[in-house]
Amino acid sequence: MSFPLTINLYTVFFGLLAFIALVAAYEVVTNRLITHAAFFLALVFVAIAGIFLMLGAEFLAVTQVLVYAGAVTVMIIFAIMMSQAGEVKIEECGRPPFTRRLWMRLVSSQWGLLPLVFALAFALAMFGVYARASWPVRMLLADRVGPATPNTSLVGAQLFSTYAIPFEVASVVLLVALVGAIVLTGKEDKS
Amino acid sequence: MTAAVSQIPLAYVLVFGALLFGLGLYGALLRTNAVRILMSIELMLNAVNINLVAFNQYLSPGYVNGQIFSIFIITVAASEAAVGLAIILEVVRRRNVIDIDKINLLKW
Repeated sequence: MSFPLTINLYTVFFGLLAFIALVAAYEVVTNRLITHAAFFLALVFVAIAGIFLMLGAEFLAVTQVLVYAGAVTVMIIFAIMMSQAGEVKIEECGRPPFTRRLWMRLVSSQWGLLPLVFALAFALAMFGVYARASWPVRMLLADRVGPATPNTSLVGAQLFSTYAIPFEVASVVLLVALVGAIVLTGKEDKS
Repeated sequence: MTAAVSQIPLAYVLVFGALLFGLGLYGALLRTNAVRILMSIELMLNAVNINLVAFNQYLSPGYVNGQIFSIFIITVAASEAAVGLAIILEVVRRRNVIDIDKINLLKW
């Protein structure tokens, strides 16, 4: 697989969305206040929905906004609120010397460059794997498909024919999660 | 295949997914706040979704198998978040700690 350097309107927009998502993801991992991290997580989800839209997966983009940016973020914020988690005050104890600050910035798990280095190393390793592979990128010929079927109707048709049984199992999984969450958080010291 | 897919190289999307997964992995492995670990896991699941959709759209356009896998992953991620947060709330209620380094018993 090659890594061609192409610059056009699409790649610029993709790069913009990817940059937003990565900066927000960095904030999710490193931000001192966990509430801010939760809101940055919502930003990541919205940016990824935009990327899905660019890739032509409209249904998935809408699902991403509904489920992730809507439901999961709200659930996480509720959990933070109810658990009063994490709002740790970091006390200021003078200003450490510059080299020490640099070192802290480099290795600290909270603010530092370490997440970036880690992610870059991971991406480099993955790219090493990808570079060995050769995938036949197919272009759909416009004259062969005729008018394009909308993405959503394709997904719906597949979901209710080929993937009908996994679909039903997914509903059971959701039911189990619902019951499990209620049982786990329900009051029990009435007896 | 939409116009955008034919313009963006596949490698860009894959590298973006790998970077996002790396950040999530870092958060899941090195942070100690339980809620933040769950958030990092959501990041990783999103990165996986991006890879699935990208492979779907680039390698077999016209089919939607990868997108349907992504939908199932989203379903499982939502359930996982619900149950995980419920467990965290229960731990906080009983032990009043959120730091997983301080939670080292399976039963108490």
